[in-house]
Amino acid sequence: MTPVPCAEARPALLDLQRGRLSAARAADIRAHVAGCADCTHAAEAEAALTDVLEHRLPQHTASLAFKRALREQWPAPAAPSRSWRRRWRVLAPAVAVVLLASVSAPLVWDRAVGRPEREAVAALTGEAVNDHLRMLFSQRPLEIESGGIHNVRPWFAGRLDFAPVVRFEGDAEFPLQGGAVGYFLDRRAAVLVYHHRRHVLSLFVFRADGLRWPRGGLEPVGRVQARAQRLRGFNVLLWRQDELGYALVSDVEPDALRALAVRLAAP
Amino acid sequence: MTAASERDEGGLGREALAYADTLYNLARYLTGNVTEAEDLVQETYARALRAHAQFTPGTNLKAWLFRILRNTFLSDVRRRRNNPVVGGLDTVMPSVHDAAEQAWLREDVDLDRLRGLVAAEIEAGLMQLSEEGRTVILLDLEGLTEVEVAEIMGCAIGTVKSRLARARAALRRHLKDYAR
Repeated sequence: MTPVPCAEARPALLDLQRGRLSAARAADIRAHVAGCADCTHAAEAEAALTDVLEHRLPQHTASLAFKRALREQWPAPAAPSRSWRRRWRVLAPAVAVVLLASVSAPLVWDRAVGRPEREAVAALTGEAVNDHLRMLFSQRPLEIESGGIHNVRPWFAGRLDFAPVVRFEGDAEFPLQGGAVGYFLDRRAAVLVYHHRRHVLSLFVFRADGLRWPRGGLEPVGRVQARAQRLRGFNVLLWRQDELGYALVSDVEPDALRALAVRLAAP
Repeated sequence: MTAASERDEGGLGREALAYADTLYNLARYLTGNVTEAEDLVQETYARALRAHAQFTPGTNLKAWLFRILRNTFLSDVRRRRNNPVVGGLDTVMPSVHDAAEQAWLREDVDLDRLRGLVAAEIEAGLMQLSEEGRTVILLDLEGLTEVEVAEIMGCAIGTVKSRLARARAALRRHLKDYAR
């Protein structure tokens, strides 16, 4: 085994973790790391960064509509000409597959599209209701008391990595109470609290990238298409506008929730 | 176009389109927004379609598409600036922060905080890097070899190594700010 100095071992740590070193070289680096506290820490730092990047860095996926547009852009392969006998030999298994698919398609569709979407909607809805409850149970739910939206919205500057787009400043029916910074799933969110009679309505605004978003069951709510959900007695409206996601949740009646959503989504 | 080349083009297209999400992810981190990322991926496929005859079957299609995407992005950046990039796009200085990097590597508590960062903070940290820094980190995460990354970025393998080390060190410094 060849002794290795720190200056030589340190740049090789990532290669070691990636399995890019020869067996002999890997053994030398491992032996050095085992006996060197600084290089042990450096190796842990490399591993921690890799772990964070591999598990938590958002992976942006292209929308289905965009992928469909790409498919249309790239021409399909030209079909080669064949005799009917050869064609049938090729087609017979395909016909069998089509028949089988017609029977199993609903199940496959549900597994591939329906179930993931239901799970995604359930996750968004559950998070919205739980965050709303945390807001209600909190001793000091509001970090900024409302002096109007022009007082609340600038307060978020420097506290979030996006600008929450909320223009509705409250009115007699839905007075704005204030705002706070919270979390929605794995990301920071702007929380705005409105009242309606004696009910509390929480609006969570967050970056929507990387989140699976409902595509079905949407209904027009003002200018946006929203998904209405009900969970544990709470009504929830979920919608997207540009790159932001919105979750509005309360125990008010669905019509009242929709009325506030229309105001929030107005230009 | 002959029937044979149409068939090749179609087969290549099916395989190429399987990488749409991977390409889009890099495009999002390069451009920083949905619209420009979609434009960039669309232009990448358009160029790949025009140049499909230049692709050598049996070589890495994903790396070929990444190279087209990055070159398209850089051409676009240069066109917008209306002048060529001088001295590379890498703004990460290797030696300036060495002392801080060494100090941080020795602090266990920071590693614990690093592990507690949320997705948005990690993304924000990555977006603070130069284009070269973001690209080399993302290509490395994609599991491409150093040889493939070198081909995509048009540099030597040793340069990939040093750029990756510098970019990861810079990212750790940025994430340290979030981990406080």
